[in-house]
Amino acid sequence: MNTPGRSPDGLPPVLGVDSVSKSFGGIQALNDISFEVLPGDIHALIGPNGAGKTTLLNLITGNFPADSGRVTFDGAGLNGRKPFERVSLGIARTFQNIELFGSMSVLENVLVGRHVKTGCGFFGAMARFSRVVKEERDARSKALELLEFVGLSEAASWRGTELPFGWQRFLEIARALATEPKILLLDEPASGLNPVETASLAELLEKIRNSGITLLLVEHDMNLVMKISDRVLVLNHGMKLAEGTPCEVQANEAVISAYLGREQAGKACCASAS
Amino acid sequence: MRYLILIAAVLAAGIGLSSPYQLQLLTFVGINTLLAVGLNMLMGYAGQISLGHAAFYGLGAYTTGVLTVHYQWSPWSALAAAIVLTVICAFLIALPLLSLSGFYLGMGTLGFGMIGFVVFRQWSSLTGGDSGLVGIPALEIGPLSFSSPRSYFFLVWAFAVLSIFLCERLIDSRIGRALRAIHDSERAASSMGIDTGRLKVHIFVLSALLAAVGGFLYAHLVSFISPSSFDFLVSVRMVTMVVIGGMASIWGALLGATLMTILPETLTVFHEYEMIVYGLIMIVIMILLPQGLFRGVLDIYEHARKKPGRTSAGSRG
Repeated sequence: MNTPGRSPDGLPPVLGVDSVSKSFGGIQALNDISFEVLPGDIHALIGPNGAGKTTLLNLITGNFPADSGRVTFDGAGLNGRKPFERVSLGIARTFQNIELFGSMSVLENVLVGRHVKTGCGFFGAMARFSRVVKEERDARSKALELLEFVGLSEAASWRGTELPFGWQRFLEIARALATEPKILLLDEPASGLNPVETASLAELLEKIRNSGITLLLVEHDMNLVMKISDRVLVLNHGMKLAEGTPCEVQANEAVISAYLGREQAGKACCASAS
Repeated sequence: MRYLILIAAVLAAGIGLSSPYQLQLLTFVGINTLLAVGLNMLMGYAGQISLGHAAFYGLGAYTTGVLTVHYQWSPWSALAAAIVLTVICAFLIALPLLSLSGFYLGMGTLGFGMIGFVVFRQWSSLTGGDSGLVGIPALEIGPLSFSSPRSYFFLVWAFAVLSIFLCERLIDSRIGRALRAIHDSERAASSMGIDTGRLKVHIFVLSALLAAVGGFLYAHLVSFISPSSFDFLVSVRMVTMVVIGGMASIWGALLGATLMTILPETLTVFHEYEMIVYGLIMIVIMILLPQGLFRGVLDIYEHARKKPGRTSAGSRG
């Protein structure tokens, strides 16, 4: 596919993963993985189950440290930074198994995402200075804006977990966007969505990319991946199997035999890479 | 609106009641409200249990007791000392303890509560040991003396209403949402940039602080304190107030404190069967209204108005 949103060559990568390895007990989950995500790209991470995709996301968000290698964000090393610190740097994520705040309304879920963009402390909250009131008002209008953006405005007062499943995914995305990330990591955003919802997800992801946010997504839905991605990284058994544009990856013999199979390769988009 | 009702109720009770017994009982309700509101911030909102809060209650009481009786401090400077001491202790306890969760946090705080009890009992040169500390002076502000049951009732309820007011504001803020986020999913909370470890420590300190203020007011009310007022059962009673009233509801804490203070007194009509009836009432409440009194009653009300599928702003208090 052509890559209209591609940043001009020469821009430094927003995210760099440099020979990262991680093992759990005797299992080598990631083995010497290196890749870069360029600003403005939609970068997909694919591979069979157990390939290490989610492990890689968790390393980037800082849920556990890498055994070796390093992750850089905006040119600075992330080693030793806790997950919550990485959020204020500009790394947001969604979860494979949706993790909404069950006791809260849709709007409140998004408001939690404003945490890093607001600053009042215990005293401020109790004294309710005019600065705090304004901050709260701004957070609310920003949250409503984001609900509008993902198409959930009408459900603002619903309880988050009472939404239909597909909407919960969109809510999680809105909540992550509320932190104003530079890069958004999505862990299988299309899983459990019906084709209509997947189509609107694709639309939403492109809208997000067009607003200047880089996306890194782990995904099994190949149609979605091949349709929207600028670059694809294929993992297999913790190793990097291939990396390239969707066309290159689909034509790659190793990827076809390990993951895609003949059928998917048959649909190879390269025909359409006019 | 709720504040108007609460303040009106407090004024009506304070002015209307004449029996010192009833006034003192309601004063205890006020003190327990402080304890329950504080513990509810930690348990109900942030989802972290403490089975040792009686130690902070006792710390507040003994700090003011020791300083006023042995060192002739004025009660108000003793209150300041109690606050500083409690904040320091709570910080030191919370840092290691709050990395635990669930049952382990329960056991850890239980251990802390027991240490507190042992210190109150064994440090007899200061605390008087088992025989207690006698002669804690009455409170006064300038010419205002709080030695009568009625004036003390108003003093305690001023503290209680203020704590409800401030805690409700805290909950309805960025901090409050972050606390509830930790309760719902700590993983998701930290993926929103919330420093969950730090926030848990801070809310623990706040709830310890409210318990210590409760202890201060208790000590100057009864003028005599002994370790048995701060033992394990007191911690459990605080937890019960929160659970019965309704977790994650400040007004529920008020209800729980009221019920748990008044119920044992009114049940004395059952003589030796008192505790059985008391236990049965607890069981029935928990079976019928597992969310606690406040939420339970609200749910029934909302159900009657048939607004399913929505959370109204009024459903959390």
